[in-house]
Amino acid sequence: MSLKLSRAVEEIAVRTCERAFPEEGCGLLIGQVPDDFDAPGRVLLIDEARPLPNGWDASAKTNKYLIDPKTLAKVEAELSGSGRGVVGFFHSHPTVPAWPSPFDLTMAMPCCSYWILQIKDGKVADSRSWQRTEDGRSFIEEEIILEG
Amino acid sequence: MSIDIRLPTALRAFADKQEKIGVDAGTVGEALEQLFTKHERLRQQLMSPEGKLRSFVNVYVNDDDARDKQGLNTPVKDGDTVLIVPAIAGGSTVDELELTTAEKARYHRHLIMPEVGAEGQKRLKNASVLCVGAGGLGSPLALYLAAAGVGRIGIVDFDVVDESNLQRQIVHDTLSVGTSKLNSAEKRLKALNPYVNVELHEVRLSSANAVELFSRYDVIADGTDNFATRYLVNDACVLTGKPNAYGSIFRFEGQLSVFGLKDGPCYRCLYPEPPPPGLVPNCAEAGVLGVLPGVIGTMQAVEALKLILGIGRPLSGRLMLYDALEQSWRTLKVKKNPACPACSENPTIKAPIDYEAFCGLKEKTVTIPEISVQDLKAKLDKKEKFVLLDVREPHEYEIAKIAGSTLIPLGALPERFAELDKSAELIVHCKMGGRSANAVRFLREKGYDATNVAGGINAWSEAIDPSVPQY
Repeated sequence: MSLKLSRAVEEIAVRTCERAFPEEGCGLLIGQVPDDFDAPGRVLLIDEARPLPNGWDASAKTNKYLIDPKTLAKVEAELSGSGRGVVGFFHSHPTVPAWPSPFDLTMAMPCCSYWILQIKDGKVADSRSWQRTEDGRSFIEEEIILEG
Repeated sequence: MSIDIRLPTALRAFADKQEKIGVDAGTVGEALEQLFTKHERLRQQLMSPEGKLRSFVNVYVNDDDARDKQGLNTPVKDGDTVLIVPAIAGGSTVDELELTTAEKARYHRHLIMPEVGAEGQKRLKNASVLCVGAGGLGSPLALYLAAAGVGRIGIVDFDVVDESNLQRQIVHDTLSVGTSKLNSAEKRLKALNPYVNVELHEVRLSSANAVELFSRYDVIADGTDNFATRYLVNDACVLTGKPNAYGSIFRFEGQLSVFGLKDGPCYRCLYPEPPPPGLVPNCAEAGVLGVLPGVIGTMQAVEALKLILGIGRPLSGRLMLYDALEQSWRTLKVKKNPACPACSENPTIKAPIDYEAFCGLKEKTVTIPEISVQDLKAKLDKKEKFVLLDVREPHEYEIAKIAGSTLIPLGALPERFAELDKSAELIVHCKMGGRSANAVRFLREKGYDATNVAGGINAWSEAIDPSVPQY
C-alpha cells in the first residue's frame, strides 16, 4: 500500500498547507484509477495535487477543512472517462501530529489516500498518508514514495 | 423512469468500476435501493446501520441537493441524473462530541453519580486511552474502558491468540485461537460497546514509533511483560507528557502505580536500572495465576478513568503491591528522583534510547552458541554422543519432555553442575530458550561446552514432534 508522487506534486501540497498556516490547507490528489483501487495493497500514482479553498467558516478553519462537494463534482465530471480520477485528498494539521483525528475517520471515504501534513510554525514538520479500512473502523498508514 | 446514478471515483471500486449506473425508479430512495441491490458493498459505505444516509454523503438530483427537497423521497423523472458526492472534510479538530440518547441510557449508572454525571461521561466519550498490549492486563483493562464509554481505545500488539493465553486473557476466546489478538480484541470490545472506537496498531512498540503513537492519546496504560518495553513506555510517556497507568504481574503478585504526572515520579525514579537479564522470569517462564491480571488490569482501568474524569487521588507517588496468596495490599511511597534521567528538570534522555541494550538483552544473543531444534533432531537421529540437559522444573518435565534428556532445574544447577561430565558436549533446553540461555552462560563460565536450544521444547513440539504437549 503506497502513495507515489513526484517532488513537484509534493511541493504544491506542502506550499498550499504552509501558506494556509495557522489554518488548515486542503486539496485533491488526482491520478490514474488503479484496477485494484479497493485492495488494501494498492499503489496510487498521483500526477496532480490540486489545492482548493477550505470551505469552513473562518472560525473553524484552524482545525477543520471542507472541500465543497460541488467543486468535487465538477472535477469528477471533468475527469470522467479519462481513466484518471480523484483518488485521494491532502490536508494539513496545524501544529498537531499527522495522524488522522476521529473526525477524519468519521468523514473518510474508502480506497482513497488521505495525506496529512503536519505544519509547525508555518513549515512542514511531518507528513503521513493513510487509507481507511473498508469497514470504516480505522486507518492504515501507507508508504509515501517520492519519485523524480 | 430511467435514471442515471453517477458515482465518485472513491466508490466505483464497489460497483464494478462503473461511473454511471442506470436504474428505473420514481424517487431518490428507490434509485439508491436499486443501486444497493445491484452492488451490496455500496450499501455499507453509504448507509448507516440504521438505514440513513451517512453524514458525509451528499445526493444531488441534477444540480439540486436532495436534502433541500424531500430527501430520499424526492421524486425523479425520466432522464434525471442522481449524483452521489462525498463531502470531503476532516481535520485536526478536537470538537467535543455530545452524548446521544442511546448512550445516556447505557451509561445511566454513571450519570446518576455526581462525580461523573453527564459532564464526566462526555469527558470519557471525548477521551482516549492507549493500551500497550492485548494480553493479561490489557484484556480487563480494555474491556472496562470500553464498557465505561471511553471514546477512543487504542491497542498496540502484534501477537496472535495462543491457547495458553486463554487462562487469563479474557478479551479473547477459544474461537480466536490462531487469529490476530487485535482483531479478536476489537470484535469483543465492539460487541460489548458499539459506541466506542477501537484503534488497532499492529506494530511492535519501538523507539521509532512510541512517541508519535503516544502523542495521539490522553492516557497510556502499560500492560507489557518485559523490562525493555516498560522503560520505553515510561520514557515515551515522560517525553509526551502523558500519564502512565502502570501494572505488572508475577505469579501471585501484582504492582500498580501511576507514573509521569507532572509532579509525580516516573518508573525510572522507582527503578533506575533494570534487573540483570534473565534474573526475573516472565509469565511464560514462571507462570501466573490466571485471575491476577484481572485484579491488576481492572485497577489500571480505575486509575485511567480517574485520570480522565479528574476525580479522586491518582495513584501517583505510591506503589501498590498486591499479594493474592495473602490477599493483601501494601502501599509504598515513591519519591520523584531529582536526578532522574527522564523526568527531572534536567533530563539526559531527550528521545527514546536503545532499550534492548539498556536492559542487557543484546549481548545475550551474541555470546551464546545456539542450535535449532531441527539440528538437534539431526544429531539425535545420527546418534551423536552428547548430553541433552533440561533445566526446567520437575512439574514441567512431567507435562512434556524430550526423550533421553537429563533434568537439573536451573535453580539447582549451581549445586549440581559437577554431576555433569566436563568432557561431554552439553545441549541445554528449557521451555522457550530463556532459562536455558542462562544455564548455558553459567556452564560455559564453569568450563563446559554448552549450547542453547533455540525456542526450547515448545519449538521442538512445534517443528519436530507435535505429540509433545505445549504448555
